[in-house]
Amino acid sequence: MTPARKPPPASGPAEAAPTEAAAECGPAGAAATTPSAPGPSRPARGVPRHRTRKGLVLRVLPALLLVALAAVGPWLAPHAIDTPVTAPYAEPGAGAPLGGDQLGRDVLTRLLAGGRELIATSLLVAVLVTAAAALLGAVGALRPAVGRVVERAADVLMLLPAVLGILLIALSWPGGGRYAVIAAAVVMGVPYAVRLVSGAAAPVAASGYIEAAAVGGERLWHLVVREVLPNLRATLLALFGLRFVAAVYIVATAGFLQVGPQPPAADWALMIRENSGGIVLNPWAVLAPSIAIGLLAMSVNLAASALVPQPGRKTVTAL
Amino acid sequence: MAGALSGTARRPAAGPDVGQPRPAGTMLARARRVGRLFALLARRALLLAVLLATVFAAVELLPGDAANATSERGESAADLEQRRALLGLDRPVLSRFTDWMTGLPSGDLGTSARGESVADLLSRPFPNTLLLGGLALLVTLAVSLGLGCWAALKPGGGADRAVSATATGILALPEFVVAVALVLVFALWTGWLPAVTLTDSDGSPASWQMLVLPVLALAVPQIGWNTRIVRAALADEAKAPHVESAVIDGLPRHRVFTHHLLPGAMPTIAAGIATSTGMLLGGAVVVETIFNYPGIGSVLAGAVADRDSPVIAGVVAVTGAVITGVLLLADLVRAWASGGRT
Repeated sequence: MTPARKPPPASGPAEAAPTEAAAECGPAGAAATTPSAPGPSRPARGVPRHRTRKGLVLRVLPALLLVALAAVGPWLAPHAIDTPVTAPYAEPGAGAPLGGDQLGRDVLTRLLAGGRELIATSLLVAVLVTAAAALLGAVGALRPAVGRVVERAADVLMLLPAVLGILLIALSWPGGGRYAVIAAAVVMGVPYAVRLVSGAAAPVAASGYIEAAAVGGERLWHLVVREVLPNLRATLLALFGLRFVAAVYIVATAGFLQVGPQPPAADWALMIRENSGGIVLNPWAVLAPSIAIGLLAMSVNLAASALVPQPGRKTVTAL
Repeated sequence: MAGALSGTARRPAAGPDVGQPRPAGTMLARARRVGRLFALLARRALLLAVLLATVFAAVELLPGDAANATSERGESAADLEQRRALLGLDRPVLSRFTDWMTGLPSGDLGTSARGESVADLLSRPFPNTLLLGGLALLVTLAVSLGLGCWAALKPGGGADRAVSATATGILALPEFVVAVALVLVFALWTGWLPAVTLTDSDGSPASWQMLVLPVLALAVPQIGWNTRIVRAALADEAKAPHVESAVIDGLPRHRVFTHHLLPGAMPTIAAGIATSTGMLLGGAVVVETIFNYPGIGSVLAGAVADRDSPVIAGVVAVTGAVITGVLLLADLVRAWASGGRT
């Protein structure tokens, strides 16, 4: 077994979650459990400064603001997304603060309109992956046979780069469009997410009260939903953040490869692809959506890592 | 690399027998080790075969086929049937599957929707993609090892925090966003490097300068990931008892670092780098599109336009084989590092 397939360390959320007090302050409870070793090579994983409630809010806020802006963006747009208002690749001017794109459409309008679907799709993917992984991971921890099957599936999918997975599914399912991208992103994301959940669920599943409930004749469904999952709230919240980061990457890349939203739809990734030919004439047509995606990826990642209890995520990749 | 990982370095409180082969049961141990290597090999081969079967099934089971995808306007149903017969799409799924799978080891990847051999289509661009991905992997390895070790040497210091924050910031950026930023800065504003790749007559990039920006665009997000992995692996290893005892023995710090800390963290680092291979090859497809690089990205772009799933399946097969090889290497590093104790 390579470490890549080792379930992530079960410390952190799994330990912090079971007590109500720790669950109350979220991942903050995990910091106190980190031991420190003596000697000059002492680990830097002491008590982080930002693990306070205020720090958490500060780190989540940029992502929330950006998502809110993208959500209301289409209503703020000054022009229609598909009508030319300038010359192709016109430089920024009076009517169009960011200039025109390859058909002379207003870049600012398309920028404001282009984020909502990207974010909505990514959120949907993150929710689906987290929910599926929560159920599969909890079942896998309670029923080792299921856990082994999931583990093998993750081993196999590790050999398939996410981008190729999207292309494969999107092309084999021509009418799928946006749903093909969502399906591909969920299929590619679940195996890794299940590992994280089952790693955290294993100690919970082995604890006395679960065994007592199992001996008491409770059904598997009851054990999963009522006994195991409520104890993994912190892990699942962190997982959701990480899956959102990964989903933004996948959905944006699919848009760039033109297997997601089709022209003339306004989409940040599609805008970059469409306008890259005119990058010399009006750089803003490419730069503005790039900055938007970059800011989204970084702010969501900042929020996600604020939710993750510890930095040492090892080799469980986000994709 | 293997020499530094030969297990003995990990043993706490190294006795006088450092580096000596263990006398008892050597033959048995060697046989067991060879057996384990074969088990690793067989396991990886099996996983690859399962992936390929899954890919074939996905192409088959989802709606739409190659004959439909390449149909032209005004084509009659009879023409369509004829091309379907030509492409062999009218034969039973199972026989096509066995043909495809048995053809793979001999390098036969099937036929594209346009009737060309997929292996021929990929034979020229794939080495270019491997060159791009391999260079990006080397850059990733060197930079993230350097940065991770630098950060780990002064835990909690300014460098540590700056490196960790930057790594976290860039690891989620899609490659094409990094590429756009690089093109703007290094090609358009400063004019130092070319923004597009021109090819020689043999289909390879015309000069090394054309490789710089694509390699950087690919490597930057992976450097973000791997720097964090290196940093975290070193922090974990620093808590191990043999490192503590080396410190208590009064060994110099740099010696503890190179002989006790780094070897122990190596399996995790190797696995992290190996996992990056898939992301690099996937990202290459995107980056090649931006820089017009003559790799499988351009073939795939054409396949996307044609809805040509046999080509995609072929690319997945070759990519999967490469990733299998790299993961196997990481397995071997781990087997060596654990020195026959697992």
